[in-house]
Amino acid sequence: MSEPLKVLIVEDEALLAMELESLIEEAGHRVVGWAMSSDEAKTMVDASAADIAFVDIHLSDGPTGLDVAEHIRRSGQPMVVFMTANPKRIPENFAGAVGVISKPYTMNGLMSALRYLQEGVRRPPPSSALPTGFTLSPAFATVWAPA
Amino acid sequence: MDGNRTRESPDAWHMTDDLHAEQGKGDPFAAAIRATRMSMIITDPRKPDNPIVFANDSFLRLTGYARDEIIGRNCRFLQGPETDAEAVAEVRAAVADGTDISIDLLNYRKDGSTFWNALYLSPVSNDKGELLFFFASQLDVSDRKLSERRIAADKERFEEAVKERTRELEAALETQTALLHEVDHRVKNNLQMISSLILMQSRTISDEAVKNSLTTMLERIEALSTVHRRLYQSKDVSKFDVSDFARDLVSDLLAASGRSQISSKLDLEPIVVPADKATPVALIVNELVTNALKHAFRDETMPGSIGVKMSQPDGHLIIEVSDDGAGMDGNAGDGTFGMRLIRQLGRQLHADVEWRNTSPGTQVVIKMPNGPQHEGDAP
Ligand SMILES: Nc1ncnc2c1ncn2[C@@H]1O[C@H](COP(=O)(O)OP(=O)(O)O)[C@@H](O)[C@H]1O
Ligand SMILES: [Mg+2]
Repeated sequence: MSEPLKVLIVEDEALLAMELESLIEEAGHRVVGWAMSSDEAKTMVDASAADIAFVDIHLSDGPTGLDVAEHIRRSGQPMVVFMTANPKRIPENFAGAVGVISKPYTMNGLMSALRYLQEGVRRPPPSSALPTGFTLSPAFATVWAPA
Repeated sequence: MDGNRTRESPDAWHMTDDLHAEQGKGDPFAAAIRATRMSMIITDPRKPDNPIVFANDSFLRLTGYARDEIIGRNCRFLQGPETDAEAVAEVRAAVADGTDISIDLLNYRKDGSTFWNALYLSPVSNDKGELLFFFASQLDVSDRKLSERRIAADKERFEEAVKERTRELEAALETQTALLHEVDHRVKNNLQMISSLILMQSRTISDEAVKNSLTTMLERIEALSTVHRRLYQSKDVSKFDVSDFARDLVSDLLAASGRSQISSKLDLEPIVVPADKATPVALIVNELVTNALKHAFRDETMPGSIGVKMSQPDGHLIIEVSDDGAGMDGNAGDGTFGMRLIRQLGRQLHADVEWRNTSPGTQVVIKMPNGPQHEGDAP
């Protein structure tokens, strides 16, 4: 098994963040931070050296998830995966993100996504199939899931 | 011809109108022009400033001038401040080129009142092609112009009203769409929260039976969540693709079970149902697939297979869920909750539900009416 992922959660809904944290840790990964607003998120990104950030589009300071993704794109890490009930809000270029997990996701959908992302981070491209409910950005689709 | 005309002397042609000598006296055509109700003038372009050399009585009546006020003058005294300069320029160009022209002009009477003049102007040349006169007729078309303008104004008002209404409707639609997105967003988030609550609760429980019960509950809620996610991902929220749903559900449940020796056989035609049937159909499929996974293959080491087939012969949707496992020993009739759920949802869908013992295994067939499936059909 390859090295566990360091995950940053950017989510304003405490209940969802809590449950996400449990699922991530059950899957053997580590949660390095939980941010509720874009400012918090940006500070944590710079301090945490995470591999993956799960970013909700709507945060406590508004629809600022895209700003967070842009900030992360400029700083070069971690990889962003949007997690939103409103995937239609994501721009064509996904602000540099890997893709989106649409809410509501299933427990197993998330577990599969974590496995897939671990492969994508540790030895890309991922070998397992694209999980249901996970949509890749056009840029990553050409590299990770060429037709 | 009008007898009153005799008050004009037989020589009037020469006395009042300084016409060129080529115009013969007593010419019946000249007499007709004098007497017609159509206003007419003749100008002489060979004289300086192309003056009027002849005007009939109708012209005088139309414009309110006396003959001696206008003979020898250029016609431009008919123009006024509101006359369209472009139209005047066109007339001037026609005169300069010696061509004819037909144009509507706003003209002014002697008393300053206006009328719309449908001017027809044409050059008259002799046999040698020399330009001798311009002949011009004037028709008062003020009434026509007025109604034209009224129609144009009405049209403009109408178009403005339509635009205004369209703006209102677009704004209303935008508000509605925003509202729909907001509600959709909340429903999805709430479904996610319900799942999270159940999962969190389940982690704290050690009793296997209670844990299983919570897991079953979570599976049902996740089936609802998947319906909602798929429905609002599609372009048309009024239709639901049951085949896509079944594909998602089976792969999700199989992966979650961790039973790698169980395989799935999917035979799914693309089939849509109206959105209001999405939830009951999804819940039935969820019950059948979870039952097969839980009950058909007790021996964890034995290989097995679960099949889902969807087809739509003659206005019906047929869903078959089958397994090659333990079979049910005819205990489908008892009142367990899963079975009741299937039967009641089946009633809601007007479906026939049939359990078949296929030894090995079980096959459940759901047959429900599902209208004609043409593109663009109302649900
Ligand atoms: N595919 C199947 N294969 C074998 N047994 C089944 C199958 N489906 C249902 N059963 C039996 O029918 C019973 C009633 O099912 P259900 O009402 O869904 O209750 P539950 O799934 O909670 O046990 C199950 O407990 C099981 O014994
Ligand atoms: Mg059951």
